[in-house]
Amino acid sequence: MTSSSRQRFNQVSGLIRPGFSRYRNRLLLGFAALIGVDFLQLIIPRLLKIAVDGLAAGRATERTLLVIGLFILLTAVIAAFLRFCWRYLIVGFSRLLERDIRNRIYAHVLTMDRPFLEKHTTGDIMAHVSNDLQAVQMACGIGLVSAFDALVMSTAAICFMLYIDVELTLLALLPMPLLAVSTRILTSRLHHRFNLVQEQFAQLTEFVRSALVSIRLIKAYTMESLQKRDFEKLGKKFVRSNIKVAYVQGLLFPLATLVGHLGMLMVLYFGGRFAIEGKISLGDFVAFVTYLSMLVWPMMAIGWVASLAQRGLTSLNRIQTLLSTVPLLKDPTDTGEDAAPGEPSFRLRNLTFTYPNGTHPALRNISLELRRGVHGITGRTGSGKSTLCKLLVRMYPVDDGTLYFGGRDVNSLPLRTVRDRIGYVGQEAVLFSATVRENIAFARPEAEFEEIVAAARAAVIHDDIISFPHGYETVVGERGVTLSGGQRQRVALARALLSDRPVLIIDDALSALDVETEDEVLRSFTGAGRDRLVLLVSQRIKLLSGTDGVIILEKGEIADRGLHKDLLSRNDFYQIMYAKQSRENAGKEEGAAPAMTAVGRRSGEEDA
Amino acid sequence: MRDFGYVEEGWSGSRREHHIWRRIIGYSSGHILKFVLAVLLSLLVTAATLALPRLMQTGIDNYITVQEMAMEQRFEGLGVVALLYAAMVATVFLAGFLQVVVLERLGQSIMQTIRCDLFSHLLRLDLSFFNRHAVGRLVTRLTNDVQNMYEMFTSVMVTLFNDFLKLFGILLILFLMNFRLALLMSLFVPAAIVITVIFSRLAREQFRAIRRQLARLNGFLQESISGLTVIQLFEGQQASYRKYERLSEEYLNRTLAQIKLFGTFMPLTELMSSVAVALIIWYGGGEIIRRELTLGELVAFLSYMRLFFQPIRELSQKYSIVQSALASAERIFDLLDTREEIRQPALPAAPSESRGAIVFDRVGFGYDREDPVIRSVSLTIRPGETVAVVGSTGAGKSTLINLLLRFYDPQQGRILLDNIDLREYDLQDLRTRVGVIMQDVFILPDTLFANIVLDTGTDRSRVVEIIENTGMVDFVAGLPGGLDTLIGEGNLELSAGEKQLLAFARVLCRDPVVLVLDEATASVDTATENILELAIAASFENRTSLVIAHRLSTIRRADRIVAMDRGRIREQGTHDELMARRGLYSTLVGLDLQAGETAVPEGIDRRGR
Repeated sequence: MTSSSRQRFNQVSGLIRPGFSRYRNRLLLGFAALIGVDFLQLIIPRLLKIAVDGLAAGRATERTLLVIGLFILLTAVIAAFLRFCWRYLIVGFSRLLERDIRNRIYAHVLTMDRPFLEKHTTGDIMAHVSNDLQAVQMACGIGLVSAFDALVMSTAAICFMLYIDVELTLLALLPMPLLAVSTRILTSRLHHRFNLVQEQFAQLTEFVRSALVSIRLIKAYTMESLQKRDFEKLGKKFVRSNIKVAYVQGLLFPLATLVGHLGMLMVLYFGGRFAIEGKISLGDFVAFVTYLSMLVWPMMAIGWVASLAQRGLTSLNRIQTLLSTVPLLKDPTDTGEDAAPGEPSFRLRNLTFTYPNGTHPALRNISLELRRGVHGITGRTGSGKSTLCKLLVRMYPVDDGTLYFGGRDVNSLPLRTVRDRIGYVGQEAVLFSATVRENIAFARPEAEFEEIVAAARAAVIHDDIISFPHGYETVVGERGVTLSGGQRQRVALARALLSDRPVLIIDDALSALDVETEDEVLRSFTGAGRDRLVLLVSQRIKLLSGTDGVIILEKGEIADRGLHKDLLSRNDFYQIMYAKQSRENAGKEEGAAPAMTAVGRRSGEEDA
Repeated sequence: MRDFGYVEEGWSGSRREHHIWRRIIGYSSGHILKFVLAVLLSLLVTAATLALPRLMQTGIDNYITVQEMAMEQRFEGLGVVALLYAAMVATVFLAGFLQVVVLERLGQSIMQTIRCDLFSHLLRLDLSFFNRHAVGRLVTRLTNDVQNMYEMFTSVMVTLFNDFLKLFGILLILFLMNFRLALLMSLFVPAAIVITVIFSRLAREQFRAIRRQLARLNGFLQESISGLTVIQLFEGQQASYRKYERLSEEYLNRTLAQIKLFGTFMPLTELMSSVAVALIIWYGGGEIIRRELTLGELVAFLSYMRLFFQPIRELSQKYSIVQSALASAERIFDLLDTREEIRQPALPAAPSESRGAIVFDRVGFGYDREDPVIRSVSLTIRPGETVAVVGSTGAGKSTLINLLLRFYDPQQGRILLDNIDLREYDLQDLRTRVGVIMQDVFILPDTLFANIVLDTGTDRSRVVEIIENTGMVDFVAGLPGGLDTLIGEGNLELSAGEKQLLAFARVLCRDPVVLVLDEATASVDTATENILELAIAASFENRTSLVIAHRLSTIRRADRIVAMDRGRIREQGTHDELMARRGLYSTLVGLDLQAGETAVPEGIDRRGR
């Protein structure tokens, strides 16, 4: 082992070492049981030898045979019990270890920030928690057992064989090096070919994925037959590589059997000669055959165990990498005086922000003061409205001295302190597969039912909820009722309202509501919202007209700021929006959502 | 919702097990020769394997224990037996290897067939199917599920056959050696069957319970990741962690229960095997004393019984493979049995004279039946006419294209092409008659030429001609390798405008009667913009064209403009007529001119279902 790989091993084993010490007693007992089983298994051939020698010499009687049979039975029963024990203890250990690591990964994921999620897709993390964890569990469970068992069994069997006859043992083991050498050659070749198969499997997957994602285009340009042809070609290549693997793999297994059989051949010929010459007894001969057959399995297991261990190690490494990612967004190490910030207010000073993988800043030189009252924000898509909201709720890190909350630099405040004071409703209404009640009470699980209903009423979702099959206990999501985009948004709003926090940020989250419902929602929360700081991102003039001031963003900068009526008289963009929406409202008797809101509605659908 | 196959449950049992098996076997019927060869090899391996203990016995009985024979003779005889033994060993090895290779070939070609079937089936399915199913899951069907099935095929189906053959052979030999002892041994057969059946029942239940719980656990994780922001903002970390911990604990308990079951079953088979040994020693030993059995035969009996229990021992390991393979097979067959909603007509119409007259006759449609996107749209387009459709997002413009290409069928009314209902055309034929230029193109990783021609077989001179006619010469000349430039993933990436140019060339190769253009909303540099305008002008000439226009230049070129709003046609006429009306169209144009950018209302529909 090179020093770097040892270092890597040490690093990685740090993840499982606590598990090994935590369940030490369990493991020790398990291994004791395993040794017991191996020992008992080795006893049986001895008993056989006694019986056979007795029979060969004509000494054996029905009675002695019965006694030997009973002895074999007894050992077998004890062995069966011990087998259960080690399986439960050691394989159970691997499951306990799996659970511990699984929970650790989850706890770690909960502390991660948006930049992390942008780098690691959900698929990545799912793969860690499923495939990698399984590989680790296999390696630490059945892999560990097999390695240990193979070691003990082979050593003991060889010892017993040596005890019977040294020369015969050497002869019987003569084919073994052949196995070791050829396995080594074959596995290195296998490794190479196997990688090719994996690669082509990935290619195949990617081919299918890209075809299915673009199914509309393929159909439109009638490219079906071309795609079929290419897929078939790719598939054939994959088949060929698989068969190449099979040539090697197909050799490995019969080879192990062959070596076992060759050993048996040596025993038959030379052992037979020794028995004829009287060097060993016939019973020795029979026992020898049995011991040799016990060696076959460990020999075959070695390769398998090695690959299990290798895979387990690789997976452990991947999990370790995941667990050692540190979020960019962290609590300050020194929070100073932990006095909570006073009056909820935001102050932005020359705030410029670029997304981690972005090339241009999404926000440029924003300076702004926000105090109690309802503030509207509007602008084209991509003008930075959502980005601003995300920075305020601390989803992304900001530079020191650019963002103040309650008069204090947010970077000097624990994340919690800021987030605890903000109710947020995002563009995508994220609900969880739980009851409606649980979803609304997400921020305050202890809330009284009356409070929940009050919040639902304020968000104008109460009547909808009542109409669901189980009312507030209706389960939402894949295994339950599917809500419409507007219903989801209102449940999310109720969740934020119930959280009852001094700041409320609503990021274009009412877009899927029809005009009447929107009116009602607006009335209910602007009424209650005057003593809070409400930030309302919207494209709707109607909503914006009821605010205490509107900020217009354009390409990441503040283009204008003022009261509704002032903007209407001086801002071109605002005027156009107004003109368009009054026209649309004129045709609202059909009850469809105004055209501009379709963006929001679609994102709601994608979420569904 | 995105899905990665981690939240799928196991075999639901909606199909009978034997039904699945029959279907799997149905696939192998095309490979009879390989199948027969595999069976023959299997017989050879089994016979040779079973001969080994018998040879060992011959060695013991005829030479090792025969004291009265001369030493030399005994050695010689032993040598012969050893040679035979060696021959058998070689046979087992060679036939075993050959068998693996033959089976691999058999299995792989079957899987390739299933994979290709599944892929072409998916390509046949209509878009509403893809709206309902996450791509991630469908990909899993074609990749992991097929692989799972394959593993079952090689490692289980085959060994199962081998094992049965072996068990049968062993019993036969035992009966030949000593009838009474063999009878005693054959008592283990029903015992093994009973235990195995009970075990597999219990194991199946537990296997499903574990899969269910794992799906739940992974589903929760997936949801937590996608809702992480909400969890963090509302301080739900602790509650979520506790819930996850609970699910995780439940999963642990179920796996522990499974370990207990396996921990009971596996030692039980070992125990049976040891009981057999004890019986052989006690009863078989007695038989030797009674001179009914030789010592060599006793040893052979012991060896055979060891072989006998081996398959039963391995059964539990194979069990989980079979279960997950059955689940995969079931999912694959379910997918294969999904019928497309857009059906091909049995006798497709193929009018020889194609003029390109389009009629939308009171067409109504919604992706969701309760939420119509198009309401009672009637529109007649004369052959050779160019019609531009304008309107803001959600007006239903793209849906018109989707219906015209028959990605969906209208729920009310009908659409006619040359007086024949679209539903009477062969789909491929329809989509060749109606050429479409979408906002995006599907690019094959190949040369530009191959991407233009696709499977039409158009010759190079014709392609060059098209390129000249559409003014794309400069674009092609600007590429490093001209027409032979490699494009697509890993090669040269085309810009949005260039992609649309490629789409033009591609469509013109097919010389469609009707041209549909979904103009790109993405901003395009001026040079490409100019070429695009040329291309549009060239291709619209003498062709019925329907354009979803975003550029004023395109709109102005149209013979007629149709302004849509919320699924209805509001206004029709030429640019000047409509501007004079000061209605919807003039507002749309005015808005965009004032905004001073391309004629793209905010949030244009780019999802394009």
